[in-house]
Amino acid sequence: MRKKWKLGHTIDTGVTYIILIAVAIIFFFPCLWLILASFSKSGTIYSFDGFFPTEYSLASFKKLFTDTTLYNYPKWFLNTLFVATGSCILGTFLVILTAYTMSRFEFKARKPMMKTTMVLGMFPSFMGMTAVYLLMTQFNLINHLWGLILIYAAGAPMGYLTQKGFFDTIPKAIDEAARIDGATNFQIFTKINLPLSKPIIVYTALTSITWPWSDFILPKLLLKEKDLYTVAVGLMSLDETEFARFAAGSVFIAVPIVVLYFFLVKDMVNGMAQGAVKG
Amino acid sequence: MVVRMKRRKIALAMAMMLCVGQLAGCGDAADTSGGTESSAGQTSTASSVFTGELEENVTIQVLENDTAISKGYFEELINAFNETYAEYGITAVDANMDQYLDLANDGPYGYGPDVLYQANDIIMQYATGKHIYPLPVEKLECYDSIPEAAWNAYKTEVDGTTYYCGVPVNVQAPMLYYRTDLLPEDWKTTWDDNGNQIPDMIENWNDMYAFSVERHGEDSSKYGYMKSLYDVYFSSGFLFSYGGYVFGSDNTDPSDVGFSKGEAEKGAWVLQQLAGVMNEECIDDTITTNAYSKLADGTYFATISTPDVYSTFLDELVAQYESEGMSAIESEEKAKENLVMTTLPQLPVSGDLTEENPELVDSKAMGGVNGYAISAYTKYPNACLAFIDFATSYDMMVTRSEMLGVAPAREDAAETAGGTSELLYESLENGNISLMPSIQEVSQIWTPGQTFFTDLAKDAFRDESERKYKDLASLKAGLEEVDQQIYDAIFTLK
Repeated sequence: MRKKWKLGHTIDTGVTYIILIAVAIIFFFPCLWLILASFSKSGTIYSFDGFFPTEYSLASFKKLFTDTTLYNYPKWFLNTLFVATGSCILGTFLVILTAYTMSRFEFKARKPMMKTTMVLGMFPSFMGMTAVYLLMTQFNLINHLWGLILIYAAGAPMGYLTQKGFFDTIPKAIDEAARIDGATNFQIFTKINLPLSKPIIVYTALTSITWPWSDFILPKLLLKEKDLYTVAVGLMSLDETEFARFAAGSVFIAVPIVVLYFFLVKDMVNGMAQGAVKG
Repeated sequence: MVVRMKRRKIALAMAMMLCVGQLAGCGDAADTSGGTESSAGQTSTASSVFTGELEENVTIQVLENDTAISKGYFEELINAFNETYAEYGITAVDANMDQYLDLANDGPYGYGPDVLYQANDIIMQYATGKHIYPLPVEKLECYDSIPEAAWNAYKTEVDGTTYYCGVPVNVQAPMLYYRTDLLPEDWKTTWDDNGNQIPDMIENWNDMYAFSVERHGEDSSKYGYMKSLYDVYFSSGFLFSYGGYVFGSDNTDPSDVGFSKGEAEKGAWVLQQLAGVMNEECIDDTITTNAYSKLADGTYFATISTPDVYSTFLDELVAQYESEGMSAIESEEKAKENLVMTTLPQLPVSGDLTEENPELVDSKAMGGVNGYAISAYTKYPNACLAFIDFATSYDMMVTRSEMLGVAPAREDAAETAGGTSELLYESLENGNISLMPSIQEVSQIWTPGQTFFTDLAKDAFRDESERKYKDLASLKAGLEEVDQQIYDAIFTLK
């Protein structure tokens, strides 16, 4: 009986692993292909022997950063970094404030506001693109990276529900105890709840940076000057013969976000464990 | 009860909002007509904005094409202009925008360029939408040096008055690119029947076809002539050579679609035969994209493309020679010597590429005239006109041709440039280049055309029993269907 159970367990594990490996290959193969293509010596997709390049070099990456007359990748990269960082800081700040307010304070419009934001959140963001474009022309924010940051940050609080859920798990008794000791609302937030919220802040920051980092529609709509392009828009504007540059640019833009993710994930897990003990 | 009342109120409020929404489109007509009036006014009084008095201490944004920027010509142009007009404080700068701009949407909000360089069909679409100014072209120094055929690409008539909305800069038409070092070693004895020192396959399509069969037969990985049939811009020239055209009345009458007119089916037959000596990549635009590298590595012997990409073909060939171990200088010299760009070979009158000693006719091609136009949203029209006058001067046109390899629209500059530029200029004057129509209906020709040429290319790879176009009659019927589809696309929703 025990032997039979063991066999069944082994088969189950084996099948699970096979499925997981197959799925991993399906998702990983395009990435691998692009990474290898970016190191192709010939720089053209048509010289590949089957799927992969025949010779490898760093020429595409060198060209990406040195040949900037027409395609200024370093500038696009800095623009992307500026927009993503700005949106991340401002967006995280607004989301945490919104979520904390909705979690801790009772006021008349609280429920209707929660319902409204939930319904509004169901509409795809590109639905309002025309209105956004017209508004931005009126505020003279076309061709300004700040315009993008404002839109990303202003839209971020719409997704506050996860953060509210986290604040709900921190017992209100701690707030009440602090209040009895004479703490103000601001002190309760900054001295008690905020230190306990490190994991959710990290989570919010991570999600706030990834969207502006890879978004195409909004920068394409609002940025008309080539020197202001973000990497996503810049790569799309490359000529059809610039495949090597496209591949190298796509690979390089992924590096910082992957590194950041690994660093923050570690921090997030630590913070979560810490928060759980304190809670 | 209270809840029900509340719901009713909400429902009433929503109904009222809907009504307001419905009425939103019924604004004061005077507003709209006011806008139109000012736009239309620009057309009829456009010349009045060009007073000749230069706006001083201004900066004008110029949108050039990517090749001119990457090859350094544009920098040379604006530096020369800025130096000349320094006393007026006029500065021209790169508009720093995508070359495929959207003036119609960005211009009204002040985000478009002041001067733009585009193909004639794009400029004339902007002209129809009143996004660019008609120009006082007769005041320009280049006016007499540019042939009427090129000016016509920018001509429009409003209430019986003729206006020109752009200034021709260079002529674009398909050219044959091939490599002399891929010719057979004994070509002078085997592929030069008339002994004129020009290979026969460069002179007529029958020999190009025969050479393609031979080259592919010797090595199945190599090809002779290769080009995507999918591309209407290049493929339609074969139809025009046998009497086809885009629109009637010199491309101004969209009710007369002429892809099937004359003996255009013979052109389709030529294309079908050529597809037979290519591979299935001719069905989509793969060959158009890979031709640069495949010509360089010797997989293809010849292809057709426009003159403005000569430098891309050259760069690829130089890189190929370098990878084979040659020095940079030697590679460049050899590439310039071996890469040839010339006019298209002649076609057989019969349309049969296997015919020996055929009677030949000149190939016609769809072409375009790229040029400058002035945005209707500029604040400095006179400074912009001064820029165009400067950029189309003899010296700048010659420099442009030398640096970019393009064919100038100015006769004197084309003569100086010589070679291909002169040949292209002659083709334009001889009527062998059929300029892309400058009316907005031209946007409807591409999809039906692509569908037909794709089907034609596929046909070459179908089994004999499954072939759709087995004779000239079926090809004619296919082209007539294209005409009908284009006509329907233009007039169904009008």
